[in-house]
Amino acid sequence: MNVIDCQKVSKGFRRTNALESISFQLTDQKITGVIGRNGAGKTTLLKILAGLTKHKSGEVNVFGKNPYNNLMVSANSILVDDQMTFPDSLTLEELLRSAPAFYKRWDAQLASRLFQYFKLDSKQQHSKLSKGARATFNMIFGLSTRCELTMFDEPTNGMDEAVRTDFYRALLKDYITHPRSILISSHHLAEIEHLLEDILLIHNGNVVLHDSIDEVKEFAVAVQGPIADVERWTAGEKVFHSKIIDGQRLYVVVKNNLELERARLEGAFIQVLSASEVCMYVTSETKGGIDDVFK
Amino acid sequence: MIINTDSTKPIYVQIAEWLENEIIAERFTDDEKVYSQYQLAELFNINPATAAKGLTILVEDKILYKKRGLGMFVAPEAKMMILEKRRSQTLTKMVTDIVLEAKRLSVTKAELIQLIHNCEVEI
Repeated sequence: MNVIDCQKVSKGFRRTNALESISFQLTDQKITGVIGRNGAGKTTLLKILAGLTKHKSGEVNVFGKNPYNNLMVSANSILVDDQMTFPDSLTLEELLRSAPAFYKRWDAQLASRLFQYFKLDSKQQHSKLSKGARATFNMIFGLSTRCELTMFDEPTNGMDEAVRTDFYRALLKDYITHPRSILISSHHLAEIEHLLEDILLIHNGNVVLHDSIDEVKEFAVAVQGPIADVERWTAGEKVFHSKIIDGQRLYVVVKNNLELERARLEGAFIQVLSASEVCMYVTSETKGGIDDVFK
Repeated sequence: MIINTDSTKPIYVQIAEWLENEIIAERFTDDEKVYSQYQLAELFNINPATAAKGLTILVEDKILYKKRGLGMFVAPEAKMMILEKRRSQTLTKMVTDIVLEAKRLSVTKAELIQLIHNCEVEI
């Protein structure tokens, strides 16, 4: 069953288009990484899926329903981000106690164990928390809802290194025992790569890649060698990035294909890229890069 | 073993190779049950689907076999098969790399063979 089905979804803010035309389907119970540069449209997409903002055109279905203003969708999904607000008339402890009224699968035991582990102050108000503590509380809340669709938008912003590691571990352990559909957006793919099954790569408001993490990793490779040779080896290929080194050698990132194996035998230096490098090069705007600024 | 996400090898390949090494070291023997995808996920802090992929390639290579509802087991002769596979595939690939590097450095065939001889003596 498709948990999410988006067809040509767009969203604009005044003059700019945050989402151009997004189409993808998300099948059940996978952890998917929503990856993209700053301003790619990750947050906008997640907000639309959570029903917090209305899309302009196209069709969005979450659990088969348009999520905007839909009670069924909002009871079964949650978006965890740094803009989550909770009433200040309640303490953190009271917030956790009132949660089961909204989320029928709420796990109170998990919530209180995580709460104690991360040493949060139960009498504190949400708005008075430090950035890191707030992110930690939001994460605890999000995990404990056990929502069928759980979305995290840059969940680790503000968390220190140790808390991040613990958070990802907690997420994975809870997912293993209670599989559900999880979306995590991040611009640090390397940090979450091991957790993911699929990657949804967004660029300029469009989906550029949506595939398993291993396919993404194999999508592109770097080829290096003398300029003329590299140009011959990669002729007709889509070049994502190219850079001249020392004025004589060319370094290009191209779509992976079997013919490159022949180039390797001819002496090409072929380098496999990490998933985060592939995502970075595939979404790079300009050929050349930062070095050209300093010319 | 710690999974290396920066490695040129996909995580599921690293998992498959780790299991193969365990079988070579006889920490898993014939017809013994190996870890489930969930145990592997927990052990290596990875997505269970990735762990399952690692198990699947070993099933495809007939190093593991599935018992419905019970899990994955080490096939008889699995160790032999792994050693055989590594000789034919891994070693061939490594030799290709060595020959390529030798070519780049203008090392002749005779010199290369001499290097291998020297190496053998040292080991």
